[in-house]
Amino acid sequence: MDKTWNNKAWFLVLPVLVLVAFSAVIPLMTVVNYSVQDTFGNNQFFWAGTEWFEELLASDRFWQAMGRNLIFSFIILAIEVPLGIFIALNMPKKGWGVPVCLVLMALPLLIPWNVVGTIWQVFGRNDIGLLGYTVNALGIDYNYVKDPFDAWVTVIVMDVWHWTSLVVLLCYAGLVSIPDAFYQAAKIDGASRWSVFRYIQLPKMQRVLLIAVLLRFMDSFMIYTEPFVVTGGGPGNSTTFLSIDLVKMALGQFDLGPAAAMSLVYFLIILLLSWVFYTVMTNYDAER
Amino acid sequence: MAGTHRWQTALAVVVVVFMIAAGLLVSAVPLKDGARDWFAPLAAGGWMAWTFPTAAFFLTILALLSLMAVWEYASPGGHPRVGILRFETTRGDRLFVSLLGSAFIHLAWLGLVGPGLWWALALSVVYAIAVFRYV
Repeated sequence: MDKTWNNKAWFLVLPVLVLVAFSAVIPLMTVVNYSVQDTFGNNQFFWAGTEWFEELLASDRFWQAMGRNLIFSFIILAIEVPLGIFIALNMPKKGWGVPVCLVLMALPLLIPWNVVGTIWQVFGRNDIGLLGYTVNALGIDYNYVKDPFDAWVTVIVMDVWHWTSLVVLLCYAGLVSIPDAFYQAAKIDGASRWSVFRYIQLPKMQRVLLIAVLLRFMDSFMIYTEPFVVTGGGPGNSTTFLSIDLVKMALGQFDLGPAAAMSLVYFLIILLLSWVFYTVMTNYDAER
Repeated sequence: MAGTHRWQTALAVVVVVFMIAAGLLVSAVPLKDGARDWFAPLAAGGWMAWTFPTAAFFLTILALLSLMAVWEYASPGGHPRVGILRFETTRGDRLFVSLLGSAFIHLAWLGLVGPGLWWALALSVVYAIAVFRYV
């Protein structure tokens, strides 16, 4: 059947374009303007050209924060995606267990970021926190305020606790959409549990996994509130991710120009990595 | 799919609007000692801290998007094809890859060579032509 090409349909997209302009494009334009200027306040700006970008690209502080962010995102994806798939595969598909599991899974997602940070900040303390006290009582020296490794473990476990549910729910939605006929055919063929997962469940979950990986990557790469509440970027700078560094620069030091330059580079990296993820996964899907 | 023959009018409208906007932008550049101060704020203390270079940059992006829209109007469908990256891209994808790549070329030039971005711009144009031709 021939498609009807009617370019007037573009006018229907106009309201969305206006909304996006106000929520994203205008702030982005402002950031671009700030990134090539300097200000001492009072809404007065002076041309700085590419100075802030040069400073940023030569700054160890920026590359170290970037490295921490990439490592954090990689660890998060490596834990949350397999764990989410595993939990989704083991959740009940019918009966009273379904709503119970869904509600339990949704609970962490309903808690605001700053509250999650506060919960884990108290939970991990080795004087009054259940986790910190118990771990120390077991003879393991754990103190996320002093030890960078402990701080990283705390931030990672907190993120896994908060966001694995999202991967679970998305995978579960993919799994329940698989018709029973697929499983019946696999049973007749004598397929193993692994074969059912590899050739039926995983391909059917691929689209939702793409969304899960994209969302979790972008979220973890832009993480701010939770680590800021728990560790404040410390000890030292060990958990200072790009967004924490950015806020310190923009609001703490009021260096709007350098902060804007950093925001733009940060934005471009997220855009590039998201595009790569999206392209690789959608094309893998199309090839199949 | 039949293309439309009215795209020339659309193209003329885009070019005329771009020229008028560029003219207005140039006329808005403030004067300093009788000469245009290209890097001064367009409206001192004004909203969004606009300057001529940043406004010209966004005007160019807008012009590119408008030209892409005219291209789509003239030849609908986005011209999908499989290029050297071995996956299907449309014209919009190729523009996105060109712009994103150009941004990184400029950043790499700043980081590795230094200021003076005209060569980076030239390299970006060559890169964009290559993307539109081969990707």
